[in-house]
Amino acid sequence: MEIKRRDFLKFFGGVSGAVLFGNLDDVIAVPEELLERAKNGPKIETWQNTICGLCPAGCGLRVRLIDGIPVSIKGNPVYPVNRGGLCPLGLNALHSLYHPDRLKGPMKRTGAIGSGKWDSMSWDEALTMVKDRLLDLRNAGKAHEVAFLGNEENGLMKEHIRRFMQVYGSPNYYQFSSAQNNTVPYSLLHGHSTVPAYDILNARLVVSFGANFLEEGYSPIYYTKLYSHHEEQRTRYVQIESRLSLTAGNADQWIPIRPGTYGALALGLAYILIREELYDKGFVRDHSFGFEDRVDSSGTRQVGFKNMVLGNYYPEKVEELTGVPSSTILRLGRELGNTGPALVMGDQGTVDNTNGTFAAMAVHSLNALLGNFEKKGGLFFVDDPPFTKSGVAGIDAIARAGLGQIPIGQPNASTFPVTQFSIESFTRNILDGSPYPISVLFLYGGNPLFQSPNHRELADALRKIPLVISLDTLLNETSEHAHIVLPDHHFMERWDEVSNVGTVGFTHVGIQHPVVSPLYDTKQSGDVFMNLAKRIGGSVARAFQFDSYEHELRNALKGVYLSGTGSIVSEGVGTMWIQYLQQRGWQIGQYDSFDEFWDRLVKQGGWWNPIRKQKRWDQVFQTRSNRFEFFSQKLKEAIDTLVAQQGKTGSAQNRERILNELNISARGDNVFLPHHEPVRYDPDMPLHLITFRVLPVRDGQGASLPMMQEMFGHAIHRHWESWVEIHPETAASYRITDGQWVLVQSTMGTIRARAKTTEGIMPNVIAVPFGLGHTSMGRYAKGHGTNPNVIMKNLYDMVSGKPALQATKVKISPAA
Amino acid sequence: MPKWAMVIDLDKCTGCGACSVACKMENNIPIVDPEEARNGRAMVWMDMMTTVEGDYPNTHVKRVPKPCFHCDDPPCTLVCPVGATYRNPEGLVAQIYHRCIGCRYCMAACPFTAKSFNWYDPKWIEGASDVGNPDVSRRMVGVVEKCSFCSHRLQKVKENADIEDRQIRDGEYVPACLESCPADAIVFGDIENRDSDVSRLSRSYRVYRYGEDLGVKPKVYYLARRTGS
Amino acid sequence: MKSMTPFVKWTVRAGAAAGILIVVVVYLASTSGDIVTQPIRYSHKAHMETAGMTCTDCHASVLTSSSASIPSLEVCSTCHSDQPLSQSAEEVKLLEFVKKEELILWQRVYHVPDHVYFSHRRHVTKAGLECKACHGDVSGFTEPVASQFLPITMENCMQCHRENNVSNDCLTCHR
Repeated sequence: MEIKRRDFLKFFGGVSGAVLFGNLDDVIAVPEELLERAKNGPKIETWQNTICGLCPAGCGLRVRLIDGIPVSIKGNPVYPVNRGGLCPLGLNALHSLYHPDRLKGPMKRTGAIGSGKWDSMSWDEALTMVKDRLLDLRNAGKAHEVAFLGNEENGLMKEHIRRFMQVYGSPNYYQFSSAQNNTVPYSLLHGHSTVPAYDILNARLVVSFGANFLEEGYSPIYYTKLYSHHEEQRTRYVQIESRLSLTAGNADQWIPIRPGTYGALALGLAYILIREELYDKGFVRDHSFGFEDRVDSSGTRQVGFKNMVLGNYYPEKVEELTGVPSSTILRLGRELGNTGPALVMGDQGTVDNTNGTFAAMAVHSLNALLGNFEKKGGLFFVDDPPFTKSGVAGIDAIARAGLGQIPIGQPNASTFPVTQFSIESFTRNILDGSPYPISVLFLYGGNPLFQSPNHRELADALRKIPLVISLDTLLNETSEHAHIVLPDHHFMERWDEVSNVGTVGFTHVGIQHPVVSPLYDTKQSGDVFMNLAKRIGGSVARAFQFDSYEHELRNALKGVYLSGTGSIVSEGVGTMWIQYLQQRGWQIGQYDSFDEFWDRLVKQGGWWNPIRKQKRWDQVFQTRSNRFEFFSQKLKEAIDTLVAQQGKTGSAQNRERILNELNISARGDNVFLPHHEPVRYDPDMPLHLITFRVLPVRDGQGASLPMMQEMFGHAIHRHWESWVEIHPETAASYRITDGQWVLVQSTMGTIRARAKTTEGIMPNVIAVPFGLGHTSMGRYAKGHGTNPNVIMKNLYDMVSGKPALQATKVKISPAA
Repeated sequence: MPKWAMVIDLDKCTGCGACSVACKMENNIPIVDPEEARNGRAMVWMDMMTTVEGDYPNTHVKRVPKPCFHCDDPPCTLVCPVGATYRNPEGLVAQIYHRCIGCRYCMAACPFTAKSFNWYDPKWIEGASDVGNPDVSRRMVGVVEKCSFCSHRLQKVKENADIEDRQIRDGEYVPACLESCPADAIVFGDIENRDSDVSRLSRSYRVYRYGEDLGVKPKVYYLARRTGS
Repeated sequence: MKSMTPFVKWTVRAGAAAGILIVVVVYLASTSGDIVTQPIRYSHKAHMETAGMTCTDCHASVLTSSSASIPSLEVCSTCHSDQPLSQSAEEVKLLEFVKKEELILWQRVYHVPDHVYFSHRRHVTKAGLECKACHGDVSGFTEPVASQFLPITMENCMQCHRENNVSNDCLTCHR
């Protein structure tokens, strides 16, 4: 054991340093400069507000600094999304700032993938290398061979990087997990991809189809805040899910359901609503399309939603499909129809299967039957923040040519009809080099290799790309494949904004700003792309009029300032304040200049506007009919197009072939209506495998933090390990006892984890938490637990291309 | 003299576990080696008790956050041979680490297993970043530790109140778990002050305490769920 | 570390511990002993008597914070910027630090252990203690502070608390 210089420093650092940085016995990932400051500083305490960057939920943080050194974190009490609340991961954010394996400067890989052999290089050297390659490709008319795959995010950063890709000349800007995939059901029914916000605060009944919104939703803390008022509001929660999740555990009733049949149950409830005439007839008549049978322009009779449901989804049949007793279906259907306002949500369990889009459409149709749109206790759409619009200028001939190419993530003719991207198509097209090879890939955050079921082929695809560039703070399974690493700032060191998080019920913009100056030689990725643009020159450089991402951000916020709406977040975000705003109807707080507005914005942590503009129905439903489309004309067009591409338009044979290739078993008009598609499971596998995400680790990123590993399963006293939840009956039939090691085997492989027997799961379903089982991502992530996705079959939602995480069946056995 | 008490509303609490982590970060509670954690030695002051009740499919899960109850008649203080743990005049059951000799009698005496023992120096697994709260001392190997109701925060709050020559306001002294609870399920304050939230809620019809039959008079009150279990 | 057997690990650790023990002894001797050598032979007298400054001019956070604060280089450089104000060779040293913007590693004399909460603010504003009650009358010091005037021991703290009828409950100070 060598005695590190830092240990000595700390030792002699005396009391103050030791208090800040702890004991003598460890190696600390805190730069010495900070240690010195901690030792000698006057101990002045300050607080700074920023936005958490550990997941996309966008909670406001309040960071406590002593002499400018972050020492602790709490929720920002005035930030309206989380109002002071935080999740376990957010509370642990400091450990990600001081993570010992953070990337400390640009590097190039010198050894094999995963060997950990990297040479450091200077920023100039790295950027020159990347620029040279980009410029060569562009000059050779191969700009489209550059692709970008980032983590899911919205707002300015997305626009910024997409603009780079556009002016450079590549149509290949992608995110994973992709909002493009997730919002398909909404776009089919509403005609636009905005995720609705749910007014659960004013609903009397909330029926959730697999939406684990307290744990896995877009913004769990926001919904936890709303949920915590359920008793004053007398809201009843019903959770329909295969497993007793955190949300199910807090619901008034848990209804277990067979995986892959959520849509069938929703239609079973629709049956009761229609049959007993409990639906909102006015809404259905005035604002929906395809409910009744009708005759189209060509004179053919089209079956409407009503008769399709009445003919197919009677309670006994739904019971058979879903495992939910028909008496329960009847009772819940009547409750839905007779309780107002009653709200229906569908996510995770509903959408994580090959039939997810149809199931989500079915679930969402219930909201239409109940007339829930744009009403109190219903669901609504939030306005975009009034950012300064910056158009994309200066697309030159080379860029135009590149953008005209078929995007690399484009699903081929017989897959995923209404989406422009699936990780599956992306992988396969790169592997096939079709329609062209990919020469450069930017990876920005995210970890698709760990998160997607198709990791083997995706790894092959990554290996095939001659230059992979990663922008991140830690190396993970995916970025191990990079040739060059351009490390990003930690979120506490950077400028950015997080706006309009999905399902949050008001327009908001959170500002991330450097709470601490960068600890290492890193750069904000927005600045990296700007720098590359400047180096490439010409029209690419001209597209970026500001000298830093910070200035671009400021400029975007000028629009918010000039709009004169909303308010910088401040004390009293509660109801009184909203009422006050509503009475006034405009911006509270006067600012003499934008600079004053900006300073206060950064200090407080964000801006919000709780008042929504009243929407016209054609804004709510941007479909062709300007109505809620039970019968999705968009889906019909997409499939008709595919059929037409096969040759003779309208040929029944071609249609049959296309539907077969898409694995859609419905026929006729039913294809375009919300319906239940049976999932094709392996016939000889007895058990459903499902996964779930827990708050400490979320999408897997939290596993890099030791405290999150320790708290991973703390509620059931499982630490640093994965487990398999098994119903006691199922466990008994396999002679498995609680705590025993179990092998879980699919046709793709086997994983090993310890059993957790619980009455909180359906018999014949097993659940493994997602997030552990890393082979990379720092010293704490590596080698603990197991990743259930590695034994998942390479299956996707047949319409949207979203990974089908509940479509694999498995068998289990006690491990020897 | 105020008497500090806590109310946890299980109707609001979702069992998310944020309180446990807020507490770990606030109080510099060490992370133990993975192997030790798997053997049940993870150190958590704000623990989470989970029980699954009822027969499938009418299953209910009950998650109960459990800090030290700061009993008014604490059994742990009686057995401490060195006076390292004692009940102070404001009702806080304190643990003075530099006086503790690590005999662990108090751990055995506590009916609620609220205390943990430092089997190791506060070593955060090798290389772990160790930036922590300067207001709370780190415990050394061989001492017992537990929830303090964040008494280090009281020191500062008292100082502010004293200097401004006033009483401590209701809601001014709050522990870290309360501050970051996303469900606003935790209420804390002076139970002697009948106007305080904590006192009002402690008189709710839903109130129950663990170990009431033991006569230890815990000062953590739970509000039972009104529906479900 | 992972590759070592526990035996080797512990042996190495024992060795290291012995080494550290020696360092500890030296260290403890240095803190409780008389002489701490400061990087600059600072004269409180020159500043307070000659220049007429008060304690809070430099130890700025005495009234507002738990820590009195050792002045940063910026504080020094408000007066000592380029030209020496005296004949002192020590000031030349200081000006070197200022010029290089180099941190002056003042050695701490008054250590309050981390398990004790001590607030200057409270003792000075609320209790009305004068600085010299604990630190001695430094205005006459021509040499830098090298040892504790009132040694920081629990007994000294408690005695004063007793005399002034201040709570001696453990949690008043311990944390």
